[in-house]
Amino acid sequence: MTRARQVHRRAVGSALALSVPAMILLLLIFAVPLLRLLALSIEGGSLAAYEKALGSELYVQVFLGTFKIATLVTLLTLAMGYPVAYLMATSGRAWQFLGIAFVLLPFWTSILVRTYAWMVLLGRNGVINRTLVSWGVIDTPLPLLNNEAAVLIGMVHVLLPYMILPIFSAVRKVDPTLVLAAEGLGASRLQAFLRVTLPLTMNGVVAGITLVFTLSLGFFITPALLGGGRVVMIANLIEEQVRELLNWAFAGALSTILLVLTLAAFWGISRLARTRPA
Amino acid sequence: MKGVDLRIDSVAKHYGPVVALGGVSLTVAAGEFLTILGPSGSGKTTLLKVIAGFEYPDAGHIVVGGADITDVSPAKRNVGMVFQNYALFPHMTVARNVGFPLQMRGVPKPELRDRVFRALALVELQGYEERLPAQLSGGQQQRVALARAVVFDPTLLLLDEPFGALDRKLRESMQLEVRRLQRRLGLTTVFITHDQEEALVLSDRIAVMDGGVVRQVGTPDEVYERPADDFVAAFIGESNLLAGQVAGPDRVLLDGGASVTVTDLDGGKGRVRLLVRPEKMVIGPATNSFSGTVVEAVYLGQAHKLRVRAAGGIELLVRGDRPMEAGEEVTVGFAPQDAHVLRGSA
Amino acid sequence: MPLRRMKRRDALIGAGAAALAVRPAFGQAEPQRPGQIVVNASGGSMNRAMRKAYFDAFEKDTGIRVVETSPVDLGKLKAMVASGNVEWNLTEIGGQDGALVQRLGLVDKIDPKVVDRSGYPKEAQNEYLFASSVYSTVLAYRTDAFAPGKQPTGWAEFWDVKRFPGPRSMRNHPVDNLEFALLADGVPADKLYPIDMDRAFKKLDEIKPHVNVWWTTGQQPAQLLLDKEVVLATGWNGRFYDLMKKEAPIAVEWKEGSLKQGTFVIPKGAKDPYWSNKMLAYMSDPKRQAIYANELGYPGLNLASIKYIDPKAAPHMPTHPDNLPKQFWLSAAWWDENMEKSLDRWKQWLLRK
Repeated sequence: MTRARQVHRRAVGSALALSVPAMILLLLIFAVPLLRLLALSIEGGSLAAYEKALGSELYVQVFLGTFKIATLVTLLTLAMGYPVAYLMATSGRAWQFLGIAFVLLPFWTSILVRTYAWMVLLGRNGVINRTLVSWGVIDTPLPLLNNEAAVLIGMVHVLLPYMILPIFSAVRKVDPTLVLAAEGLGASRLQAFLRVTLPLTMNGVVAGITLVFTLSLGFFITPALLGGGRVVMIANLIEEQVRELLNWAFAGALSTILLVLTLAAFWGISRLARTRPA
Repeated sequence: MKGVDLRIDSVAKHYGPVVALGGVSLTVAAGEFLTILGPSGSGKTTLLKVIAGFEYPDAGHIVVGGADITDVSPAKRNVGMVFQNYALFPHMTVARNVGFPLQMRGVPKPELRDRVFRALALVELQGYEERLPAQLSGGQQQRVALARAVVFDPTLLLLDEPFGALDRKLRESMQLEVRRLQRRLGLTTVFITHDQEEALVLSDRIAVMDGGVVRQVGTPDEVYERPADDFVAAFIGESNLLAGQVAGPDRVLLDGGASVTVTDLDGGKGRVRLLVRPEKMVIGPATNSFSGTVVEAVYLGQAHKLRVRAAGGIELLVRGDRPMEAGEEVTVGFAPQDAHVLRGSA
Repeated sequence: MPLRRMKRRDALIGAGAAALAVRPAFGQAEPQRPGQIVVNASGGSMNRAMRKAYFDAFEKDTGIRVVETSPVDLGKLKAMVASGNVEWNLTEIGGQDGALVQRLGLVDKIDPKVVDRSGYPKEAQNEYLFASSVYSTVLAYRTDAFAPGKQPTGWAEFWDVKRFPGPRSMRNHPVDNLEFALLADGVPADKLYPIDMDRAFKKLDEIKPHVNVWWTTGQQPAQLLLDKEVVLATGWNGRFYDLMKKEAPIAVEWKEGSLKQGTFVIPKGAKDPYWSNKMLAYMSDPKRQAIYANELGYPGLNLASIKYIDPKAAPHMPTHPDNLPKQFWLSAAWWDENMEKSLDRWKQWLLRK
């Protein structure tokens, strides 16, 4: 017993020792910059930057807007991504391969190119409007571009793989006989999905939500280009402070607030996932 | 609820060019324990899936208690099934696993709790309600799966090689427990296995399958003592198969040259094969005797297994009660009534 | 050129060789040549033009490779100077940021002994800021949307959605737009500063519903016109010139264009400052500035360069005698003081429904 415990303790010890370089690296590339960011935002021991950020209607409005967009994008990617991931994971090898290829292919194209592609499609004189006009469906072009809907479309397109892939791998790990068992025990297809597949793939869903939500919060090129300037994300304002106004204290404060709000959101998501009835 | 009878009527199923079931017909009486025995690829699992409703047959019908359920979805068949790997829901506690089929049937909560408790008592797992499957041993998981399969009073109980993952000792005790439970609940049961010993121990009747068809249906005794063909003979237990030509009303001239007396010919003529189980062989002179040399001797605990090579290239497996050594000269034989005659091509 | 292709080893021979140098400009001891210098600028067609006009010649003459990086990034400049790890030998900055970089001490002085700006107008000879070229934010429109004689001239007409219907695009930034709004509202060009923000935003309210896209990158307005996404747009003259060279149905109105200087600086603590200055010397050469202008439509500030500009390209230059008097100079000083305030107000105004 004691011998086993000794061996165990030694194993834990060497595991810790082995992880030291990685820890140091993480500390250097992650914790140090974060702390510097924090230090930047309270330059000279003043909380003025925070007062400005939280006291101004503009910044509060942009924070709310950013979280609204991120939430909508997350919900849309989940609604579209889950069925795709599920179909891919439960279909045959060939389809699975094809599905993964289609999901991954856009990854090799730059975000900018994909965003411009949407501009070509959605524009006043774009492919969709021109087609509809030539078919006589509409007389004047529809305002598809340069609004929030266009931003959502563009962001969902870019972020969909981040939702699909974790859910795909979670669904693939679910033993298909569990679903058969549920059906054999009297569950309808929907019940079997809700009671068995969904709870067992929750970790994939949470991973997908986390990824998409975080990435959404940091988006600014796509919203700027597809939103016609009407959709302002907090990242736009941070970038402006850093690159244009050189007010790094304020940029630091905005980033810190964003970080805190994001962490709070994750805490909420993970709690939600955990309290789900089994 | 008492079990009801099951009729499998000319069920066929193929996957592309591969025939999984080539027209299978079977009946299982109410409360009967039928084992479907066969090697992997014999179609037995497909047959079980068709009964459970997970596979739709290309042809044929499944009739339970006189009602044709071929088109009924698995959820509405009221069939309890224990899967090979138990298929317990890993995110649900034992109580929720066992309560699942009741919940799906809208059983009110107090009654549900009561029935789950009784089902767990039946498999002697009281007090494990709040555990997760991962916190249970293999045997305990099996009991949970069993409780879950019977808690909703199914009309049929299907068991898909449920003992495969258990060690020998646990397997034997679980086999007995399942059999006891099945008798007590009077459940019509179809049991799938490739383990002939298990089949012989548990079953009321055994259906031996191969290549998508049923080769023989009968009591354990019948399939063991009077196998319908070479496949059944070889698949169940060890056997000596001696090919030869009928030479008289009770005489067969074996291909090796020896002539033996049998009682089972019933006036048949032409080529036959004689099946003699090793434990029916005797060491020493008998009506049909062969002299030969021991080429292999294996100690089995209660018995000794010998491989004896006799004249004419005949090799015989013999179960004896005394130790012998390879190279020893020996005379072995069998009584006329202990040879079972098989006809048709091998 | 006797010193062309001088090798590093030769340079080390030192004062003796330098004393024998033929040209007086090379009288001072030339510092060691680095393997490369880094010039940071806006990128895209601008870098191509810079390579053609300046970099190729510089590399050929000195043997020093010119590495181009982009984009213009004030934040990066500040970070480089603060960390003491200055990668850029030269960088472009936004025209309105000249005062800011001097105030924050992010730049080094230009060496008048190396960079000869005697051909420049007096106002363009700041000791820290090198005026590389002139550009103008102008009104551009699709020629197929407005018949000849019925084409918009000036911001009052840009604002007039009845006579000049169709979607518009403006920059997502208060710079230029506040001025344009005041001009549209009848403020004379010489009375723009200090800007009356209330009046400007009130005038902007009128045009807001007709602005389809608030652009963020310089390429956007030209592309939007090309794609018929909008029929009127504000934008940098060179971007429109680029399309007009390719005969796109686009025209530029110079009236009330907003002039500013393209600006290059030497980051404080830049390595090999002599060679930074040397590059600026190439960039102040009138003939080379003409090559650049022909390519991009952004003329240099060496007044002598006009002589060398292609006559076909000349009318597209903001400094052309026909164009220059129609425009006004943006006040970098006012913007330096009011940038943050007006940006915040701009964002707030834009978000208001």
